[in-house]
Amino acid sequence: MKKIFLTLITAIATFGFSQKGETITVKGSDTMVIIAQRWAELYMSKHPDVTVQVTGGGSGVGISAIINGTTDICNASRPMKKSEKEKLKQRFNTLGVEIKAAKDGLAIYTNDNLPITELSLAQLKDIYTGKTTNWKQVGGPDTKIIVYGRENSSGTYVYFKDNVLDGEDFASSVQTLPGTAAVVNAVSKDKNGIGYGGAAYAKGIKLLKVKKDVNSTAYAPTEENVKSGDYPISRYLYMYTRSRPTGVMKEYIDWILSKEGQEIVTKVGYFPVR
Amino acid sequence: MKRIIFIISLLVAVYLNAKSQDSSSVATKDEVAEVKGAVDGINETVLEMKSTLDALKKIKISGYIQAQYQAAESASVGSYAGGNFPQNVKSRFQVRRGRFKINYDNDLTQYVLQLDVTQSGVGIKDAYASIKEPWLKMASLTAGVFDRPFGFEISYSSSSREAPERSRLFQTLFPGERELGAKIELAPENGPLSYFNLKAGVFNGVLNNSNENDRHKDFIGRAGFQLPFEEEGLAIDGGFSVYTGAVTANSKKIYEIDNSSSIKKYKVDSTITNLGDGFDRNYYGFDLQLYYDVPVIGGATLRGEYLWGTQSGTDKSSSFYNPDAAGSSDVKSIIDGKKVTDLYMRNFNGWYINYVQNIGLKNQFIAKYDVYAPNKDVTANDIGAVGSNLNAGDIKYSTLGLGWIYHWDSNVKFVLYYDWVKNEKVNTLATGTLAPFKNDLKDNVLTLRMQYKF
Repeated sequence: MKKIFLTLITAIATFGFSQKGETITVKGSDTMVIIAQRWAELYMSKHPDVTVQVTGGGSGVGISAIINGTTDICNASRPMKKSEKEKLKQRFNTLGVEIKAAKDGLAIYTNDNLPITELSLAQLKDIYTGKTTNWKQVGGPDTKIIVYGRENSSGTYVYFKDNVLDGEDFASSVQTLPGTAAVVNAVSKDKNGIGYGGAAYAKGIKLLKVKKDVNSTAYAPTEENVKSGDYPISRYLYMYTRSRPTGVMKEYIDWILSKEGQEIVTKVGYFPVR
Repeated sequence: MKRIIFIISLLVAVYLNAKSQDSSSVATKDEVAEVKGAVDGINETVLEMKSTLDALKKIKISGYIQAQYQAAESASVGSYAGGNFPQNVKSRFQVRRGRFKINYDNDLTQYVLQLDVTQSGVGIKDAYASIKEPWLKMASLTAGVFDRPFGFEISYSSSSREAPERSRLFQTLFPGERELGAKIELAPENGPLSYFNLKAGVFNGVLNNSNENDRHKDFIGRAGFQLPFEEEGLAIDGGFSVYTGAVTANSKKIYEIDNSSSIKKYKVDSTITNLGDGFDRNYYGFDLQLYYDVPVIGGATLRGEYLWGTQSGTDKSSSFYNPDAAGSSDVKSIIDGKKVTDLYMRNFNGWYINYVQNIGLKNQFIAKYDVYAPNKDVTANDIGAVGSNLNAGDIKYSTLGLGWIYHWDSNVKFVLYYDWVKNEKVNTLATGTLAPFKNDLKDNVLTLRMQYKF
């Protein structure tokens, strides 16, 4: 029986070691899809032997994929939760490697025609939890607020819930949309709409200034304000790998953090970490 | 005249065209209103569907099936690698576990029901409700049937565990892993306290599917820590666990090791007040898990646990004294014309060490060694010696397991595992049921398993 056991082990080991080609799969945050695609396009043009496949789906989807072993890199617009790290530990016996790839001011979008320029965090919380339902309550016109948000698989959704709603649930009237681009599109066509998402997507809409409380100064999500910490809802954009990256993957990540990679961050509309 | 007719014709044409445009404009307005009404209707429907979908999203269904083939070194062996092999059976196919779990997760409250469906029937594995306090979200209360909060291996899911079965000492001391009771758990998500966690609860102390059969409730608790060193790719987790409880004797005969005797043997205490009295069931344990990201190869873990304590069992088994579940061959006394099971007190210890090395994305190598000494006060030579009344429940075992896991995809994995089981060799003068233990029993087991998890 011992011979059978050793033979089977050898067979499985041989069968099991299938070498992957030089393809890097990247999955996760919709907020980061634009920047991840730009990185991939430029990198592939300079390294034709490497293929970088980028897909979105949301931070939660990306994190599940890295835990399940179905992606090499996970993009996430929020840090991994303790429970998610535990799952990674269970399957791969690693803690995962967190790479801060860019910084983002979580922008608040309204329609260009809405005569509102700033909101406080408390006002935003009241709007998104359903306590404030009319623009008049926050100094705007006497019209209903149409609230747009993201699906719960989105890292932006989680970040907004944790940092703006203080963990409270979104109101059931919030219309959830499948990506930041969809939120921007909806707000641009809805004069009473409000939405949130990455600053890089802000086209055809207005970005509100945000203040910590009623008595504070309101700040726009500019590079200066995000970097200084004055803009109250800023966050890092992360990349996660299961293990310490080596080979082609390490070269790709090093390039993203290089001057060239970080220039793309700025071009797309986010803020570099270096 | 022609000029007048032309002007009148022109005016009529303009009038008619304007009228036509008016009616066309009214029609367009009607159509817009109709479309707007339809869109509003769709919006309402979407909002209704969204609230239904949000409720459905809270229901999480998961499960796994472990189908396996096992070959034992000889027929009819007793085994901890998935249960004893029946008479004349040397190899078998089994559905070792067939789990189906429904979890209704309402963020701060949870409902969990997990069934186990195998060729042996349907059993309840988990059935509990859990609530988390809404302020700091670090404390939760759970009540029902769930894993006992002791050590590491008990609560480590069988679908994730690399070795096919838990160590012999856990299968003996915590059969079925679950218990009926209630526990409080403190597990901060953020801040310096997030490195620590605490679980403590009170349980019937019988089994997950049995009614309470005595007046005692057992306390089980674990204080743990999790120290991540992310820069170094290292994590150190661990904890200290306590089980303190009692069993109620339904016999007056209580057996304990007589340390004063030159031959180690049990002495019996037959005081009538023993009947119905509580006897110790106290376990203590340390557990430690190291995780390290080995460059190029993949993550590795080294886990170990050491347990010791006092167990109230029967003569044939060092599992806990449970008269409702005692075997027919366990020593019994007669009280009021009824057979009752006598109680044997033992001081035990046991440990295991488990190494798992991930190799790339799909492969894992496993090595595990466990030892269980159900009666640490006696030696192998004492068992079966002339004048001794020690028995099979006192024999020490060790098991070396080696295996390989191949992850076919994120749902399917194959496990190949071999258990080398060693019992200590008892005194050469042993007779009767102890006689086979004069040699190492031929009870090694090969397991080939396929698991599907979703």
